[in-house]
Amino acid sequence: MPVTDVRVDDEGVFARSAREVILDVCFDGRRIWSFWLERDGEARDGGRLVHWPASLHDYLHGTTRLTLHEHGTEQTLYDEEISLGAGEGRIAVVDKRGNPMALDKDNRRVKTFDNRSADHVRPLMDAIEEVLAALGKVGVEGFLAYGTLLGAVRGGRLIGHDSDADLGYVSAHSQPADVVLESFRIQRDLGSLGYRTSRYSGAAFKILVPESDGSIRGLDVFGGFMREGHLHLMGEIRAPFERSWIFPLATATLEGRTLPVPADADRLLSVTYGPSWRTPDPAFKFETPRSTTRRLSGWFRGIRTSRQDWDRAYAQSTFGRGRGPSPMLRRVHDAVEREGTAPASYIDVGCGRGRDVSAAQQWYGVPSLGLDVHPKAPRLQAERHADNDLVRFWTFNLLERRHHGAVAAYAGLALPAPRLVTARHLVDAIEADGDPVARLAELARALLAGGAGTLHVEFLSTWGDDGYPEELRLARAVDPAEVSAALETAGARIVRCDLLPASDEPGASITCHLVADWSAPTTGGDR
Amino acid sequence: MDRLIGRGPSTEDFERRLAELEAEVQECRNVNLRVAELTDLVTELLVPLAAGDHDGARALIERYHASL
Repeated sequence: MPVTDVRVDDEGVFARSAREVILDVCFDGRRIWSFWLERDGEARDGGRLVHWPASLHDYLHGTTRLTLHEHGTEQTLYDEEISLGAGEGRIAVVDKRGNPMALDKDNRRVKTFDNRSADHVRPLMDAIEEVLAALGKVGVEGFLAYGTLLGAVRGGRLIGHDSDADLGYVSAHSQPADVVLESFRIQRDLGSLGYRTSRYSGAAFKILVPESDGSIRGLDVFGGFMREGHLHLMGEIRAPFERSWIFPLATATLEGRTLPVPADADRLLSVTYGPSWRTPDPAFKFETPRSTTRRLSGWFRGIRTSRQDWDRAYAQSTFGRGRGPSPMLRRVHDAVEREGTAPASYIDVGCGRGRDVSAAQQWYGVPSLGLDVHPKAPRLQAERHADNDLVRFWTFNLLERRHHGAVAAYAGLALPAPRLVTARHLVDAIEADGDPVARLAELARALLAGGAGTLHVEFLSTWGDDGYPEELRLARAVDPAEVSAALETAGARIVRCDLLPASDEPGASITCHLVADWSAPTTGGDR
Repeated sequence: MDRLIGRGPSTEDFERRLAELEAEVQECRNVNLRVAELTDLVTELLVPLAAGDHDGARALIERYHASL
């Protein structure tokens, strides 16, 4: 008996085993979580204790019939009716609509395929076929990749513990910049076919496929290319490979449909999941070599720094709600009234729910643009102003220069000077890796050079213990000297810099309100 | 002379230099995404803008933005 002494409590799952095993945890007969006992556990009493993952904590209140199996076997190692946490009733790991959820290999709560009917996955399967056809139209031969390829080759089905579908293609290009341009073109073409997409990196994006129950399923499209005798496939693969192992594509059956796969799927699966890819492993973790991650990250990544945190924040309908404009915009407005210097247009970078855009619209009635990385964040204000041609809300990623270009072009046409540009809790909401201060300086210069208006930036300069940064989900405090220096490097003049306590509490956080402009071109002398 | 008496670069010196070199390599790789972004802007936005009329420009910009 390889696995013994199993016990389950609020701390986690404890067991002893002479060898590494993959264990499936089921609640009331449904698989919820899988783990490797040795790899994921900590030493305890001569065995291993695997803590409950954080993504399950909120659900572990109540009773359930908990069973534990070694993955891929019928053997039950534990089968008890147990109570966890403080709550009553049956434990139900479900989403807001009651759809069953389980943990994927990264311990994320997802709607896995093992509970889905053929009807549920039909839109995804349709999308796979359509997207493969669309890739063909732009001269790219797409194929099933990662877990979707694994499912097709291993059993002709989507893998039960998987939650999305993956497609790959191998570009004819070998230069990373050309691969990125091609990926842009593919995404644009799919958009014109009506698909909603979201970009991960310069070489990968997700297609958002609505399923029959209204939920959204992701279909990831990973770009690949050959370079120096290696296949590079976003986001985990770099391995010695021959082009002839990909082309001409072969076919495999997935959920009853015949779909393209690489010529030698075995080789691709081996470099993806290792030589034991035929053995199912719902707790598989990529051990991508550092050199591969550095290459793929260096060429393609860097446009989603801190993005996950913001997606999570705005997934809560109450986050960022409040009434009226921000204190910063009120200060700006007071100065406008005092000095009689109303702007001719307004741009709020990182507008969140869009309240400042609405306030500025009410005060000045000028063309206004609210920019936020989260498409749904300003939805209510966007709906409120849907009939007002002066107001626009755009999805905008500060870390993508194409977005800068689009905004600058739009401003040149539709947002007259003098422009008021605000960026409140933006540079402190993105980790330093994303270099948000330099990116904001570039954008502000594009909008305000030549005396075209004024920039107001507000950010956290001292992380206090009043809970202010946590409430706003800020990533870090930023040194005002760093912001001033970046703006000055971009040609700005710092007009003023005020440090303000965020609350009246002792140990209050301090915010910095910095004002900058770009001087008007000097006249005379055309040497 | 330093080499003869065993006073070559220290391990710390090599580690620092390695970190610098890694950062420099990464800096070069980063240019790829930037080049692609700027090329896309020029070919998909600026060239059509320059070739088109003023009335269609706003729609063109909004269409470009929507395609990102």
